[in-house]
Amino acid sequence: MVGLLPIDTTNLSLRAKLYELNWLLPVLIAIIGAVGVAMIFAATDGVWTQGAAQHAIRIGLAGVLLLVIALIDIKVWYTLSYPAYFGALILLIGVEFMGVSVNGSQRWLDLGIMRIQPSEIMKLAIVMALARYYHDLSRWRVSHISGLTGALLLIAVPMVLILHQPDLGTTLLLGATGVAIVFLAGVSWRVIGFASLIMAVGLPIFFRFGLKEYQRDRIWTFLDPSRDPSGASYHITQSKIALGSGGISGKGFMHGTQRQGDYVPENRTDFVFTVIGEEFGLIGSLMTIALYIAVIGLCIYLAMKCKSSFAKLLILGLTTTFTLYIFINLGMVMGLLPVVGVPLPLISYGGTVVMAVMAGFGLILSAHLHRNSELPRSRL
Amino acid sequence: MARKSKLAHKDSAAEQAESEAVLTRRTLFLGAGGLAMFGVLGARLYDLQVRKAENYIALSENNRFNYNIILPSRGRILDRYSEPLAVNEPNYRVVLIPERSHDIDNVLKHVGEVIELDPKNLKRIHQDIKNNPRFVPITIQDNIDWKAFAALNMRMHDLPGIVPEVAEGRAYPNEGIFAHTLGYIGRAGEKDVADDKDPLLRQPTFRIGKTGVEAAVEKQLRGASGKLKVEVNAVGRIVREWPDPKEAATPGDDVYLTLDAQLQKFSADQFQDDSGGISVIDCMTGELRTLLSMPSFDGNLFVNGLTQADMDRMNSDPKRPQFNKVIGGGYPPASTFKMAVMLAALESGLINPNKPVFCVGKMRLGNRNFHCWKRQGHGAMNMRDGLKHSCDSYFYEISQIIGIDRIADMARRLGLGQTYDIGISGSNSGIVPDGAWKQARLGSGWRMGDTLNASIGQGFVLATPLQLSVMAARLANAQLALEPSLIIGQGIPSFGALDIDPANLAFVREAMHAVCEEPGGTAYRYDSLKLGGIEMAGKTGTGQVRGISASERASGVRKNNVVPWELRDHSIFVGFAPYEKPRFAVATIVEHGGSGAGRAADITRNVLSEALRRDGMGPKPQKEAAAL
Repeated sequence: MVGLLPIDTTNLSLRAKLYELNWLLPVLIAIIGAVGVAMIFAATDGVWTQGAAQHAIRIGLAGVLLLVIALIDIKVWYTLSYPAYFGALILLIGVEFMGVSVNGSQRWLDLGIMRIQPSEIMKLAIVMALARYYHDLSRWRVSHISGLTGALLLIAVPMVLILHQPDLGTTLLLGATGVAIVFLAGVSWRVIGFASLIMAVGLPIFFRFGLKEYQRDRIWTFLDPSRDPSGASYHITQSKIALGSGGISGKGFMHGTQRQGDYVPENRTDFVFTVIGEEFGLIGSLMTIALYIAVIGLCIYLAMKCKSSFAKLLILGLTTTFTLYIFINLGMVMGLLPVVGVPLPLISYGGTVVMAVMAGFGLILSAHLHRNSELPRSRL
Repeated sequence: MARKSKLAHKDSAAEQAESEAVLTRRTLFLGAGGLAMFGVLGARLYDLQVRKAENYIALSENNRFNYNIILPSRGRILDRYSEPLAVNEPNYRVVLIPERSHDIDNVLKHVGEVIELDPKNLKRIHQDIKNNPRFVPITIQDNIDWKAFAALNMRMHDLPGIVPEVAEGRAYPNEGIFAHTLGYIGRAGEKDVADDKDPLLRQPTFRIGKTGVEAAVEKQLRGASGKLKVEVNAVGRIVREWPDPKEAATPGDDVYLTLDAQLQKFSADQFQDDSGGISVIDCMTGELRTLLSMPSFDGNLFVNGLTQADMDRMNSDPKRPQFNKVIGGGYPPASTFKMAVMLAALESGLINPNKPVFCVGKMRLGNRNFHCWKRQGHGAMNMRDGLKHSCDSYFYEISQIIGIDRIADMARRLGLGQTYDIGISGSNSGIVPDGAWKQARLGSGWRMGDTLNASIGQGFVLATPLQLSVMAARLANAQLALEPSLIIGQGIPSFGALDIDPANLAFVREAMHAVCEEPGGTAYRYDSLKLGGIEMAGKTGTGQVRGISASERASGVRKNNVVPWELRDHSIFVGFAPYEKPRFAVATIVEHGGSGAGRAADITRNVLSEALRRDGMGPKPQKEAAAL
């Protein structure tokens, strides 16, 4: 299609849209999802009903959601950017007052028929809002104090609310995504340098006063695993043993002894990569990473095809979130980062994350599908 | 600045182009950064999975495998003819694996219908269930009988979680008559674990010897543990057993005792319900053929822990069944001590054996009367007759001349006043008193009256049946200072020389022969051993346990059968046979059994006779004869 005249996809029929859709991305996602199903199956000792089947169903259902979102005109999402952001903000405030506590942190909102995790919605909404914000923002304001303040507020308010739940992992993810979008939007290096300076000073202060005891503990333990041989560092140690003992080619599917012995806790969810590493070795691990790189690379390619800033920033922002998930999770599993409780997208068991990630890919596909749409620009 | 004007306008085309260019550049920048990050992750994976893989594989193997200890079979304890005294028998028991049971209370209720589960036990079971992971088997009941075990097996399908098991348990046949000697086994205590680093001791079902031979030769009996490689998970649950490498346990060695089980049984039968002890010793080797304390207790009760009821019953029994009287009981040897006095007198050269003493039934020393057991007196006595008739007056007389030091020295040379290392603990050294002893012990000086009391084996003198049998064996052997042994294979003992004039020993033996084989001797019986002319030698003793007041003496000393059991005299006898070529020596004490000429002499005669018969003398042993 490269080199062809831009096609106006705004008024395409459903059939034409389905034809125009970039199917490579859903296929890659489906492959990663299938890897997830297989690994959860292994992690639960080959019992379908302990997660593998649910994961397959969720991937399927989320796939439908993805298609629906993808087929809806980008203008709709463009229009919904701010309402979605503020809606998510209201839900986050709702969590503050009416949330349900799980494992000592208040992340869930019980809506009667279902429980939702507003922080997951916010991960999408903040990208939409920032994309919209920079879509509208005049070029000169990007590095100006006025433009920076708006972006900072958009990012900081949900961060504070989520940190208070407390959910350090999501907070950092949100912040990093926001910063990435600000960076992509073209903030000057001068501002970047200045911000880095403030961070260098502010981070220790944040560490001392902004974190809960257990969060500080986790970071300390990460820096010095001997502090706690049976707690968090046990987790990292066992995780590394699982990966390392897999060697180059792995112990074979369903033959991981660390997995069979339940030595790695949470290996169905956050530590699912240990199953890949142990049973399929370096080869399996690198292939999994290659799949992710393919998805990320494809998304960047899709972003470059888009005309509007909103579409580009939306795709790149969502891709950044997705990438950060992977970095943080793999870094944690390999003992490079503290245990912060971030799942491996599409592979880890867990419904909310699958839905959020797939919705994000829906938005990416929608942005690409309607890449030539002219989106209005408010003057900011 | 031109910014003011820009405020009202959209970005120019140039600015838009600039924005797009920046976005593209920065996207590439971030993309490159991302790739670098993935590069870091890949390098880390290479580090973990290639460079350090071996290390992590070892760690995962370490995680994965445990070595479970296989308990060795405990060595048996056998008598000299290989008759088993302590063996291993299947121990039927039931365990409960809580995780396999949905309704533990209901299951326990059903088990309770087959085997009795008292509330204390139930409490312990619930405690164990609470304290252990759900997959750990909890012992419901040990040592259940075969019938109940079979009944439980039949009902298995109704009892989820219940597993019948067969393990090895220690069993002591022979109704406990070896209990004192063998001792018993039990769980290793804290001290055992501290002293002995063998990991077997930390196994909950492992038992070690606590007392007796079981403890003495623990090292030989124990054997060595085996290993079973098992795969375990993070919480210790066994995932599977690995047949290889499986190191079988090395069973413990069997241990042979010098004892003759049949003779010991025969001896026990002789005692019937009486309390006391008997020691039968080989006059040539010192090997103990019988070492029995009566009454006995069932050693099987100790194997799995004694119940309070059993403990109370034993502790309240006046006959003290737990007490190993034959090596631990110190009794006044009474007239059996007279051989030591006699030999001391002969060896001193101060007394001519023909020295006459006229016995009038008592002797006055200072203002105190010392009585002969024969109230009306023995009349004229020489040394030989003094022993034959056990005339107390004769020994009162000569002991005054030779003094306590010579007597004590001879008593020690004959084996009294010392303990022997026969492997098992609980030996009493007894007392051979002299001036130094009394000064140290009681803080008062030795008096002539003490010598007189000692001369007839009363007063301070105490000896155990084992010591008295050693004394008899040394008298019989005449050459060696024999020492007793119980466990075969503890090395061949080398005995010192007895160093007593053989002529004097022969004189004493002849007098002891007269006691048993001459009419008028205190233990005379026609054809005493009933072994076709084989004769014995011996000496009676009647150990006084109560003081007899002057008024009682005046009105007539009460007979043993009218005073309470615990105030009756101890019946004592030492002897050996055959008289000419001594083979076995015996010492018997029947607590509160009355005169030594009675119970103890009867038992000794029968046991000596049986011992010789079993050794091939005289007619064949009765059992074999019956079999023919």
